[in-house]
Amino acid sequence: MKKKISRRDFLKLAGASAATGAALTGCGPSSRFVVREPYTQMPEYALIGESTFYATTCRECAAGCGLIVRTFQGRAIKVEGNKNNPVNLGKTCARGQATLQGLYNPDRVTDPLNQGRRKTLGTDGMNWDDAIKVVSDALANTDPAGIGFLLGMAPDHLFDLVSDLTAGIGAPAPVRYGALSAFEARATLVKAAENVLGQSGLPFFDLANAELTFSFGANFLETWLSPVAYTRGFSKMRKQGKRGYLVQFEPRMSQTGAKADEWIPVRPGTEGMVALALGKLIAESKKQTVPRAFVNVDVKAVAKESDVDEEKLHYLADLFADADRALAIPGGAALGQSNGLGTAEAVLALDALANNFGQPGGVFLSPAAPTEDNVHRPASLQEMAVFINKMNTGEIKTLLIHGVNPVFELPKSLGFEAALKNVPLVISFSTFPDETAILSDYIFPDHHGLESWGYQRVATGTSQSTLSGAQPVVSPFYNTQSTADVLLAASAIAGGKLASVLPFKDEVEYIQAQLIPLIENKDANFNAGEINSFSAYFQQFGGWWTNEAALLAPTQNTLNETLSVESPTYEGEGDFFLVPFVSPVLGEAGANKPSLQEVPDPTTTVMWNSWVEINPETAHEFGIKSGDIIKIVSNVGVIETSAYLYPAIRPDTIAIPFGQGHKAYGRYAAGRGVNPFDLLGLKFNAAGDIAFAGMKVQIIKTGKKFELARMESEIGVYGEGLGEE
Amino acid sequence: MAFKNHIEETHGEQHLRQKHLMLDPKPRGEMNAMVMEAMHTTTWKFWVVVALLSAVVLFGLFWSWGILIAEGMGVAGVNRPSYWGIFLVNTVFWIGISHAGTFISAILRVFKAEFRRPFTRAAELMTTFGLIQAGFSIFMHMGRVWRMYWLMPYPNQRLLWPNFHSPLTWDLLAITTYLLSSTMYLYLPLIPDLAMARDRTKGGWQKIFYRVLALGFRGTEGEWKHLRSAMNIFAWAIIPIMFSVHTIVSWDFAVATRPGWNSTIFGPYFIIGALHSGMGAVIMVLAVVRGTMKNMKYFIRPEHFEAIGKLMLIISMGWAYFFFNDFIVQWYGGDKWTQTLLHYHESGPLGYLWFFMLFVNIVIPWSVLWNKRWRSTPWIVFIVGLLINVGMWIERYIIIPISLTINRSPFTWKLYQPGIEIPLGIGTVALFILLYLAASKLIPLIPVWEVQEGQMAHSLKKYGRESVVTVSELE
Amino acid sequence: MKPIDLNIIGAKGAIAEEAEGKWGMAIDEDLCTGCQACVAACAMENNISFVGEEDAAYGRTMHWIRIERFWEGEYPDVRTTSFQPMLCQQCGHAPCEPVCPVFATVHSQADELNLQVYNRCVGTRYCGNNCPYQVRAFNWRDYERPEPLNNQLNPDVTVRQRGVMEKCTFCIQRIHQAEDTAKSEGRELQDGEFDPACAQACPADAIVFGRVDDPDSKVSQLSRQKRGVKHLEDLATLPRITYLKES
Repeated sequence: MKKKISRRDFLKLAGASAATGAALTGCGPSSRFVVREPYTQMPEYALIGESTFYATTCRECAAGCGLIVRTFQGRAIKVEGNKNNPVNLGKTCARGQATLQGLYNPDRVTDPLNQGRRKTLGTDGMNWDDAIKVVSDALANTDPAGIGFLLGMAPDHLFDLVSDLTAGIGAPAPVRYGALSAFEARATLVKAAENVLGQSGLPFFDLANAELTFSFGANFLETWLSPVAYTRGFSKMRKQGKRGYLVQFEPRMSQTGAKADEWIPVRPGTEGMVALALGKLIAESKKQTVPRAFVNVDVKAVAKESDVDEEKLHYLADLFADADRALAIPGGAALGQSNGLGTAEAVLALDALANNFGQPGGVFLSPAAPTEDNVHRPASLQEMAVFINKMNTGEIKTLLIHGVNPVFELPKSLGFEAALKNVPLVISFSTFPDETAILSDYIFPDHHGLESWGYQRVATGTSQSTLSGAQPVVSPFYNTQSTADVLLAASAIAGGKLASVLPFKDEVEYIQAQLIPLIENKDANFNAGEINSFSAYFQQFGGWWTNEAALLAPTQNTLNETLSVESPTYEGEGDFFLVPFVSPVLGEAGANKPSLQEVPDPTTTVMWNSWVEINPETAHEFGIKSGDIIKIVSNVGVIETSAYLYPAIRPDTIAIPFGQGHKAYGRYAAGRGVNPFDLLGLKFNAAGDIAFAGMKVQIIKTGKKFELARMESEIGVYGEGLGEE
Repeated sequence: MAFKNHIEETHGEQHLRQKHLMLDPKPRGEMNAMVMEAMHTTTWKFWVVVALLSAVVLFGLFWSWGILIAEGMGVAGVNRPSYWGIFLVNTVFWIGISHAGTFISAILRVFKAEFRRPFTRAAELMTTFGLIQAGFSIFMHMGRVWRMYWLMPYPNQRLLWPNFHSPLTWDLLAITTYLLSSTMYLYLPLIPDLAMARDRTKGGWQKIFYRVLALGFRGTEGEWKHLRSAMNIFAWAIIPIMFSVHTIVSWDFAVATRPGWNSTIFGPYFIIGALHSGMGAVIMVLAVVRGTMKNMKYFIRPEHFEAIGKLMLIISMGWAYFFFNDFIVQWYGGDKWTQTLLHYHESGPLGYLWFFMLFVNIVIPWSVLWNKRWRSTPWIVFIVGLLINVGMWIERYIIIPISLTINRSPFTWKLYQPGIEIPLGIGTVALFILLYLAASKLIPLIPVWEVQEGQMAHSLKKYGRESVVTVSELE
Repeated sequence: MKPIDLNIIGAKGAIAEEAEGKWGMAIDEDLCTGCQACVAACAMENNISFVGEEDAAYGRTMHWIRIERFWEGEYPDVRTTSFQPMLCQQCGHAPCEPVCPVFATVHSQADELNLQVYNRCVGTRYCGNNCPYQVRAFNWRDYERPEPLNNQLNPDVTVRQRGVMEKCTFCIQRIHQAEDTAKSEGRELQDGEFDPACAQACPADAIVFGRVDDPDSKVSQLSRQKRGVKHLEDLATLPRITYLKES
């Protein structure tokens, strides 16, 4: 069934899909060489006064949500969710909505720059030929073992291309990293899945069909794994016949905790012990023999250590035992502990106890990605520490960075900034003048995500095996070039082995080559006989995905193996547990978008700044008032920020959002707020993730004051100044 | 014509004449000369004050206003939920001030209160000048003041009219009417005095000024007849206008859905409040005029302060009645938002203002003005008047920005912190004083003919050993 | 729609006709996760200015929709009240309308919406005072939108000048576009054919938009649920938004 679509047919298709609200694209492959032209010469499919819609993928986080971007006379006007994309089914989060303010950000890197590690963004522009020569020389003249690629979290075409490149020339494989992966403790989850579920990979929790959900630190409504998908699941969970019930175990009430029916403020690091205790009690409540996994638990001791009443534990266990479809989710701060891996395993054991593996409302393994079977996960912080060590020892001679801002996104104590000085050549492909780009020798800016081609494997969030597709929705606004194209061109110039490894004319040809294996799978959202039609459809639909759910049922059941969660150990000295969390609004890269800065934080309603959450009782004890600037001292660093008296946090815990505290990254981000990564010491759990929520810190009142910008009224919400106690 | 009693007067009679202007006549020519002299005597201090005030008006009012227009309302302190701030406080305040002018002049004239005669003009000027400040204040407050003419009903091609449902439209019509009628009412009794000034001015631009404004008034019987009937009509007609204006201003608040505003008593409550501040302002003006202008100690005497002091006391009692009436009815109503608001008034961060307002509006007048000696002493009543004005300004501040803090949407409650409103408000005060200063140099501040008329009508007659003040009906 | 007791305001005859309405929303507070996607989507669709930290702290944000939440109880039994998206309720009997001296905020008879006519507004802000929901936003300044951020401006929505009041329009530009499309195709507008930006973005599907005068529409069906309430109903403003409370 070979079907070629003519341009005319293609336009018809485009029109039809516009009417049904489906994805469509105006760009066939032939128009991939995007030229900046005055808009007097409009593409023929653009009609004056009519919007054109393009399907693409959101690059604000690595979830891979599908977008439809409304463009009007060559400008991107509005981002909407792609109703067909199985990840988000037409929905978006706040960060996705604001992505256009990244595209049209006034502080982008406009030209390739000879940055020369200046303190501020350089003005020493280059032309692209010279830039490509620089990359080419770097690739050709460095010993392959000395080439280091540092990429963003998303498993996208650039990662594949760089992987092919490095594999072909014998360089180390590219390292992917993002602060979100550290805060999600992804490595821990993947490792726990390997240990408990029988297969490495990200578990998929069928929240939508669960009757009762125990979430141990998983902030799935905010930033965890695939927030839009999980929010959709949450919505379905609430709407199903018997309204789903959610219990959240975490020391600081997250947005997910705020939506939970019960919030259990456990002491940081004891979540896994609570899970084990619950396991024992649930089995008892069900009048079953307690599986070996839970026999060793001393419920009384757990109650004491976790600060959850024994009575409460019994009540929760009964709740879980009586539920038809019970689900337990490990994630976030619960895993970012010294005992995080044990916690993840203990929580997954609860799922085993609920016998929900592969059942509706239970635990699955995410479907295998369409073009790549191996599970590539972003690097854990321990792996990053190894990488930085390689930089320091001079093993890495040339460092190429794309899609990640490690100076900002890594704990300061890892010393990435200092390590950069030991790398002779650092090339950044950053679209924005972020902290890392500024410290590089060259900045060869990539297009913004909405100006680029690409695809992205969806790691989790949907039951279908999904490859989200990306295409330019507008022509590049500045003198930028696709990093993939730069690498291809540089390889070609370098000749020799480099050229033979990547025999592709350009990025799009590479992407098409990667798509070819998918043509065979006919049980997908579209079918096409040959690659040109296939990739046209791919862009039009905004990706490729299987029609049927491709979830995998866990193969293993570890209930009969003894599980134990050791007591958590905490880095540092002090009276308070520090729980950093990713700002649900800003994420790790939203700080340069002004409208996003002005979107209030869901739980505190703070805008434009950082804050430290302190329980009002504690604050009262220390004489701290709302807006007082507090100095937070850990054993590796000190930060100062305004206090927010947060009623829903343990009195022995303070929390700081991650997302602000930029020193560069444009006018809206720079010099605003603080970065909790400045405080984190280096303690890793068994899976190599940092124990970010297992720090002890000291707080000191500075006597200074800065009132936070809050959406809420302190008078109306907290009765401040109403003369009432 | 009883210029001087030929018979030797007793000590008591002399005392009566000293006390009462009406019984202490002077020859017309001499009196006219006194008024003209008061107008023409200008010391260097006067110019210093004028220079200072002009600077304040220039920078406080016009420069700041320019910034406000160019930058937007953001430079002021208004926010959500206090969409109205000091601008509206000032508007209500100045309209309140303007009330006493008409009250004293028209009501006392209609009721033939004889002590009014020397200061009706000063009071009427206050109406006009106060309304000008009120107008400035309300226009400043508009987000797009350059479109202010859209508030007027004027014929246009698109048949766009103002919304006659809106209290602001009522306001505009009421205030415009009040401004026009009060200016007319100021002008009519001024005509004979302008004619007097014309006849006593040698030349120069002043001569032209007076000649034009005096409309050729010669003092014939026919002219007086027309003038008197016109004044009579205006005096009667302006009283309902006066009452309606402040009632309508109060409706800006009373017809709104806001807790604390939605009160049926607001109409009379605002009127009595206006009179309260207005009387205070009149007494301050008189004290200043008496203290600083030449020959004024003859015209403005303690008896006048004493009489106005009594009125102030009565009005203060009336204000207290309406204030507590409003408070108790709202409190008793039991609406939770209103209760929160009332509680917030006295216990919020600005609760001290609420107590201070009650102190200066009730406690001070009640304790000071009972005493006849004190209320006859210019500097004491000046201070009382000043405090009452401060108190009444605070009252409006409590009604507007402080009450706006509390609404039915507690998520939005925010305190109001004034910004550029402060220089703008000070600018209106300076302009008000400056206009008075200008008026004192241009027109006779004392209605000479009215004083002379009163003096003619009054006499001290002896019935046996009793001296009796008699008044004959002239009009 | 939940019947409104018109006797409480003693104006049965006058208001009954307006009680019906045309467009409306049902917002399920049990589903709303407070994620603020609607806030961002609204700002992007409707060219809403950002005001900066200082003005934002001073209650001058320009959002047309905000998420309200309060706290209940004391630690450890503390919890937030359900997140409540607050936007213009498009009242059938709107307090903002009669107080505007220049008819800048008027009721559209065709759409049964409260319109804000930007180029007629003179900025008296009376409507803002009189709105019991406090959902109106005033342009306190000409907020800067540096180049090239202005490329993103939606051509269907007017950019507002300083001194002008603005508020949620239920994305009237989308309503009209959908109506025009349906009309040109010679058919009736379907329920759910389009959504305002907030409902479109809402990942939890908490916001449902549609015709409240069509008893079969999704929004009408939801609004009829027992847990549906109108916000500040006792003011008889006849809001077009029904909040579905947590059961």
